[in-house]
Amino acid sequence: MKLTDGEKRMLDGAEGPALARALDYVVQLGDAFGAERLTDVSYVHYPAEMSIYRGSVEELVEYAASGAKVAVPTTSSTLACDLDQWPRTGCPAALAGLQGRAVAAHRALGVLGTYTCTPQFLGFAPPRGAHIVSVESSAIIYFNSVLGARTNRGGFLTRYSAVCGKYPLMGYLLDGNRGGTHLFRCRLGAEDLRSPTDWSALGFHAGKFAGSEVPVFEGLPRPTHIDLLALGAALATSGSVTLFHAPPWTAEAGSVEAAFGGRIPKETRDVARADLDAAYDALTTIAPGEPVDFVSLGCPHLTLDGIRGIAEWLRGRAARVAEGVRLWCNTNRMTRAAAAWEGAVAAIEAAGGLVVSDSCPVESHMRLSTCREHGLAAPNVGAMVADSAKMARYVGDLIGCRTALAPRERCLEAAITGRFRGR
Amino acid sequence: MAVRTIRGRSVVRGTAEGEALVSSVPISFLGDVDMETGEIIAAGHPLRGMSIAGKVLVYPEAKGSSGGCVVLMSLAKAGRAPAAIVLMKPADFNIVEGAIVCGIPLLCEPEEDLLRTLPSGTPVRIGDVGNL
Repeated sequence: MKLTDGEKRMLDGAEGPALARALDYVVQLGDAFGAERLTDVSYVHYPAEMSIYRGSVEELVEYAASGAKVAVPTTSSTLACDLDQWPRTGCPAALAGLQGRAVAAHRALGVLGTYTCTPQFLGFAPPRGAHIVSVESSAIIYFNSVLGARTNRGGFLTRYSAVCGKYPLMGYLLDGNRGGTHLFRCRLGAEDLRSPTDWSALGFHAGKFAGSEVPVFEGLPRPTHIDLLALGAALATSGSVTLFHAPPWTAEAGSVEAAFGGRIPKETRDVARADLDAAYDALTTIAPGEPVDFVSLGCPHLTLDGIRGIAEWLRGRAARVAEGVRLWCNTNRMTRAAAAWEGAVAAIEAAGGLVVSDSCPVESHMRLSTCREHGLAAPNVGAMVADSAKMARYVGDLIGCRTALAPRERCLEAAITGRFRGR
Repeated sequence: MAVRTIRGRSVVRGTAEGEALVSSVPISFLGDVDMETGEIIAAGHPLRGMSIAGKVLVYPEAKGSSGGCVVLMSLAKAGRAPAAIVLMKPADFNIVEGAIVCGIPLLCEPEEDLLRTLPSGTPVRIGDVGNL
């Protein structure tokens, strides 16, 4: 790889051992994939070390003690617990304590304590063409597709990119890798896509076929930003999709032809409402009428209007969450603070629900392996209803419970009746 | 037994020697491997009960969550990581990033079909032969 004189000096240790090591890792990554040179990145979304992986926190604490600092604005992804409310969520004290050590190390490194999967809604919305490094598949696909910023699926080296401010020029940073591969001709009207959960079902369906390539959606009705968030999160669940185009609603392609850049799709499929129904069915193992004990809303994390909507729904019905049911509304601490200020958090809590920040069920102590390690009941949840295909898919395996995918209203009905009545 | 040298595309630099452990099916570090011991724990896996610690681990391709990196790091900290990894197919970003940080040599697309020609237990050497 061709390095600039400044990069060569950094690699030789002129700016200290922490920077030299960080750059060496990033250069090795570029060499492994044949990148020609490095590029400066303007923003990093960092994989906050979760205390459910003990080794990773210890390694982080050691690293932070080396005196390394991030070189660019760096937000952090979700943790394994709510740092303030962990006792209310049933999180073991040992896990919360270990997580607190990670948070102190993040602060020492200069990482911002956002602890969210949706930094793009907290003011970190890089423009079209920006080179960034991000973890968290639902944020990665939103940055690439909706905003037109450029990132690969960041992994372990994200930390080192944050410290040296560099990433190899490769993968989705290059024009040639951003063209469409799979065409989905959507026979779907606004009546078929009535909620973000419907968009989530669409993404779950299409992701299976798109795999790790670039799907293009033709003929979708005008979406909201929450619809596109839901679509992307699900595409990156059933597939490992990093970028999609939905002309003319996404950043880079005004038309289907432009999205394919003159190339012929590898695969073309028609999509109808029946495909969405099949996605709902595939993620639903709770039969209509059966009891549920957990309702999870906010995957990805809820925005302020999402929390307000839940609060108003509960307040309008003077509803209470049924005995034995846990209702978690998952968000980040900045959004929770705003929702608390306007009274929405108090309304949800008065109804018996929780507004959980920093984390979510699937990242929490409720994972099967973590429950066993800490002597908690495993599985911790019997039957969970969620309004996101991503949540429904991962809790099935990681928490080991039965699941149902349903739009938010149906989820809230399940929370107050204690039963799933179907979608 | 004579030590066999394995050649291929050197993706993460380094040299290693050890007994080969050859899996005919993909391995996901998250879920398939015990984080503390390096034992393969996945139900139905052909190598279930075997340990990857100190082995030259040969398998078709990486699979599974990016959380696999964290498992690899835990194994490395516990001294239970593989000595080297050999993938029959090209590597994805995730496994490469994990191997770089953990200092585990990673070779891809070896010259011969090791899944057929290399029995587990054979002593092998990974040379730092550069990109072929």
